[in-house]
Amino acid sequence: MVRSASPSPQGTAGTPAPATSTLSVRGVHKSYGHHRVLRGADLELPPGCLGGVVGENGAGKSTLLRILAGQLSPDRGEVAYAGRLGYCPQHTVLNPSFTVEQHLRFFQVAYDLPDLALAHELMDLLSFAGYRRHRVGSLSGGTRQKLNLTLALMHDPPLLLLDEPYQGFDWETYERFWELSARLRDRGRSVLVVSHIAFDTTRFDRLWRLEQGRPVPASTGAGEGR
Amino acid sequence: MNARRAWDRYRTATVFAVTEHLRNRLALVLVLGFVPLWITLVHLVIADGDVTFLLRASGEHLTVNGNHISQISGAVNAVTLIVGFMMFIVTFRSVGFDQRLVLAGYPRSHLLAGKLTALVLATAAVCAYATAVTAVYWTPERPVALWMALCGAALAFGGIGIALGVALRGELEGMFVVIMLSIIDMGLQNPVANPAADSDVVRYLPAYGTMQSGTAAGFVEDVPWAHMALGPLWFVCAVVVAGTVLWMRTRDRRSPLAGMRRGVPRRG
Repeated sequence: MVRSASPSPQGTAGTPAPATSTLSVRGVHKSYGHHRVLRGADLELPPGCLGGVVGENGAGKSTLLRILAGQLSPDRGEVAYAGRLGYCPQHTVLNPSFTVEQHLRFFQVAYDLPDLALAHELMDLLSFAGYRRHRVGSLSGGTRQKLNLTLALMHDPPLLLLDEPYQGFDWETYERFWELSARLRDRGRSVLVVSHIAFDTTRFDRLWRLEQGRPVPASTGAGEGR
Repeated sequence: MNARRAWDRYRTATVFAVTEHLRNRLALVLVLGFVPLWITLVHLVIADGDVTFLLRASGEHLTVNGNHISQISGAVNAVTLIVGFMMFIVTFRSVGFDQRLVLAGYPRSHLLAGKLTALVLATAAVCAYATAVTAVYWTPERPVALWMALCGAALAFGGIGIALGVALRGELEGMFVVIMLSIIDMGLQNPVANPAADSDVVRYLPAYGTMQSGTAAGFVEDVPWAHMALGPLWFVCAVVVAGTVLWMRTRDRRSPLAGMRRGVPRRG
């Protein structure tokens, strides 16, 4: 059920996000029945920052990201951001009846883009340009995930929310994903990656570990465990 | 410029909705095989004896050829099952994808208009085929009116298929409900199983208007337009239900939040 934000314990409801942030999350609560998943989540992501949220299965990472993407409404709290966003869901959300090119065309109209230049560039970078005319139903899981990711990035939004974006990628594509994320960060985009795997935390500028329904700042240093 | 953009969105949604139907191979096989098989079997198996049918539009009891009227009910049965199935599958499988498109900025109204256009085109084609197959075995009094009557039932079940597609969680559930609805509907209105079909209950069945207008098209000169309109009315009601559920499922939940700024620079 959608509820307007009410004053949170932090008293942030209705307060504009700080000028330095692309994304500002304050006091977000979410429960499923009696199960309290998020208990006052706070998070700030400035422009040109590659952030990561890690946590164990069931910690509430996808719930948090779905709230940020507008797919779920929080019970309480505030989310503020500037401009458009790109959201890559954890499970590939595609239509198996359409080809890769038809997906791009559909989202070109949705995003109101004059051309597909960036989408084609992303396809080259992620090495699946050869599948343009293939129907999604016949693609491997990894190639579907590449398309899933491309649909989230092809309009070059200032904020990217990526939920387990490298699932099914081979090592080379995994490396290219991080190259792409770094490039986006260097161009001033804010990228928030959610993952249950936390062995590559050195790649992040900021890292949060989701514990007891709250993102807790964590070290991005090498050797970070789960 | 805005009109061109709106047209582009509607055209794209329509082309892709039609493409989706054309790639549903099972539905195409059913159209090509099930429709003529069902009507032909009725033609071969059902006796030619006279049956009485209450045509409520004129209030008279018609005495008609049992084989011919059974072909009408068979055609109704076939088109409702196929179009109901097509719309359920397409809607069910694309709910998540449609939600993603809407969150990306695709207007719901254009997506829905594209899907409805595809439904109308599919309905017109399937029902024209069923009417043509029927006409192979006998000549209805008004073939075009029979086609329109079949379209009414197919639209009603297409709308129900859409509503089930957005409301149900399982593919099997939807298929089962479509089949059961069609069995109940045509079972109660079958002129051989229930020759008089004069219970008031049948008036509340989705294909009631089609059985009335289809029978009139087969055997009398007059076209009962009010009954002809019942199928499209069922369709409109089902689409309103589906649209409401779809709106609730796909609405952007960011908007109601205080402090949210979407697509514009943030204050501060």
